Amino acid sequence: MLKKFLLLTILSVLAFGFWLSPDFKEIAAGVSIFLFGMLSLEQGFRAFTGGVLERLLLKTTNKLWKSLSFGVISTTLMQSSSLVSIIAISFLSAGLITLTAGVGIIFGANLGTTTGAWLLAAFGLKVDIAAYAMPMLVFGVILIFQKGRTIKGTGYILAGLGFLFLGIHYMKEGFDAFRETIDLSRFAVGGYPGVFLFVLIGLIATVVMQSSHATLVLIITALAAKQVTYENALALAIGANVGTTISAIIGAIGSNVNGRRLAGAHLIFNLVTALVAIGLIYRLTEAVDQISIWLGIGKHDYTLKLAVFHSLFNALGIVLMLPCLKPMVRMLERLLRPRVRSAAQPHFLHDAAFELPDTAIQAVRQETLHLYDNASEVIANGLGLPLDEILNGKPLEKVVSKIRSPIHFDVDENYNENVKGLYGEIVEFISRAQSNMTPEQSDELFSLRAAGRDIVEAIKDTKHLHKNMSRYLRSEELAIRSEYDKLRLNLAGVLRALDEVRKQGHESTAILSLDELKGQMKQYDWDLNIRMNQWVRDERITAPVTISLMNDSRYAYQVTKNLVKMGGVLFSTAERPLREAEQSVSLDERELAEALGTPNNEKGGTNDEHP
Amino acid sequence: MNIRKLAERTRAFLDSDERKRKEKRKFLKHVIKKLKKHEKTLIKKLECEADDSKRAEIEVKIALTHAQRKKGLSKLEEFKKPSKVKAP
Repeated sequence: MLKKFLLLTILSVLAFGFWLSPDFKEIAAGVSIFLFGMLSLEQGFRAFTGGVLERLLLKTTNKLWKSLSFGVISTTLMQSSSLVSIIAISFLSAGLITLTAGVGIIFGANLGTTTGAWLLAAFGLKVDIAAYAMPMLVFGVILIFQKGRTIKGTGYILAGLGFLFLGIHYMKEGFDAFRETIDLSRFAVGGYPGVFLFVLIGLIATVVMQSSHATLVLIITALAAKQVTYENALALAIGANVGTTISAIIGAIGSNVNGRRLAGAHLIFNLVTALVAIGLIYRLTEAVDQISIWLGIGKHDYTLKLAVFHSLFNALGIVLMLPCLKPMVRMLERLLRPRVRSAAQPHFLHDAAFELPDTAIQAVRQETLHLYDNASEVIANGLGLPLDEILNGKPLEKVVSKIRSPIHFDVDENYNENVKGLYGEIVEFISRAQSNMTPEQSDELFSLRAAGRDIVEAIKDTKHLHKNMSRYLRSEELAIRSEYDKLRLNLAGVLRALDEVRKQGHESTAILSLDELKGQMKQYDWDLNIRMNQWVRDERITAPVTISLMNDSRYAYQVTKNLVKMGGVLFSTAERPLREAEQSVSLDERELAEALGTPNNEKGGTNDEHP
Repeated sequence: MNIRKLAERTRAFLDSDERKRKEKRKFLKHVIKKLKKHEKTLIKKLECEADDSKRAEIEVKIALTHAQRKKGLSKLEEFKKPSKVKAP
């Protein structure tokens, strides 16, 4: 309700302003064109995500200075601290970077955004910027109509720059014309009351426009047209710096606790920097004068001096806040605690992950790993073995022989509680995340969805296995009991081996060693057939028991096959092309049988062909 | 570099299929190299192993690694640049 009222008020004030002054209309149109240019620029840069940007971000955030540099450089290149903040929040919520790295990026982005003021003051106001805008718009729009993703992205960037330049031109023209009718500098307020008032105006303007860049352009063009005093312009720049945190806060709403912590760090940094800048504004102005003399900036070139001030107080903020970074991160971690989530609830699927295709894929990967964690509990319990006992490194023979009590575990109930709903959430997230993805990225999502389905299939086969296992583990016939123990032992071995492979996901040979598990289970199945033939001939077991054992061996093989398939997709941490190469050399049923010298049965029913 | 070579290189750079083919070959070669190294390590391990059951386990591992490497090599052949067929 408040939002609607606010929107209506803004629209009414603007309409009244347009009716009152055509020059104001020109300035407002300039701001709108500028903001549209920023949107177009963002859209263009998004076309290049899903590769270069993500790889760069992952490689350049292992040290604080690297995160800082990434923030400075990426914001300088993209001219949008909001986009960099959103990318950082998105990466953080998908678990790709640490909170410290995210904070480093945000600090860097604050310094990087000051290059906009330099570009505008040094270049934008001194040349006929509209002359550059026109060809950019024409070429940009032509490229937007092309099919290729990269070429389309380039078109959006060109058109975006064109609109930015055109917006600046209209703002400049508007203020120049405005000067002839109204002198806004008459409303200048001196001293600290003026500082506080204009900080507030800068803050509100940035919150409304959601772009400190746009506010800064407005300030610089107004300053160049002498519609605002230098002192008040400095205060407006401070206000714009605080107001820019609104994008990060909005971006963090759909994010997890880490995203909110990062938005908190952004707010703290900008508030502290603003307070220091307000407190030291007159000292900083003197420092700006000194630096301007060193840089050869004219005494009355206030637009460039504003750019110096903007960079100076942001750099000062970084110098002040860097030593406090770790305590600040600890404080945020203490204050903003993650909500306690049950195992059945998704932990990584947040709206913030939709911002970039690669973060959406990473979120799905993490969540599917979480699904596997839940599923492996169900599978282990279905075998009557606690998962921690399987994974703790003890000899599995001892673990299996120790636990022989009847299995009181409802596989179906646990599947419905901890797996089914979570898998449903993953599938729904995938269907929502697919728009705006390259075919390769969509393929990766499909393979992750298939990995989830393999996990579910493995549970279903465990459920079938569980029924007979509960019965025959108490059989009076030692051979039967021992055969079911072997099945349990093999499957426990599969779970343990998968856990070990998961820990060394960066190693291609570890991922490919998963084929061995299938091989071992196939070998076991073959040996079991030989043993059973002998037992049937010796009349040691009845026909129904033979059939049960044959079916259960097949179920165990299916569980292994599905889990191995899932492990190949889910556990590899290598880059996408390397993962694809690993998967391409993984052996199928026929190749596996050929390598082991066992008969092949493509349909997976390995017992149908008796030795 | 003559003009024809330059044009060929530019075409290869702009051709996304060609780039993908090269990328696939590069990563496949990397995996094959790793498998070869792994196979050699397993063979050495087998030579030092006296226990029969452990030897059998290692032999299975060698057989599978070998099969994976062979599969990789045949895939590598598939990704080879198609040879130019001269017009008769």
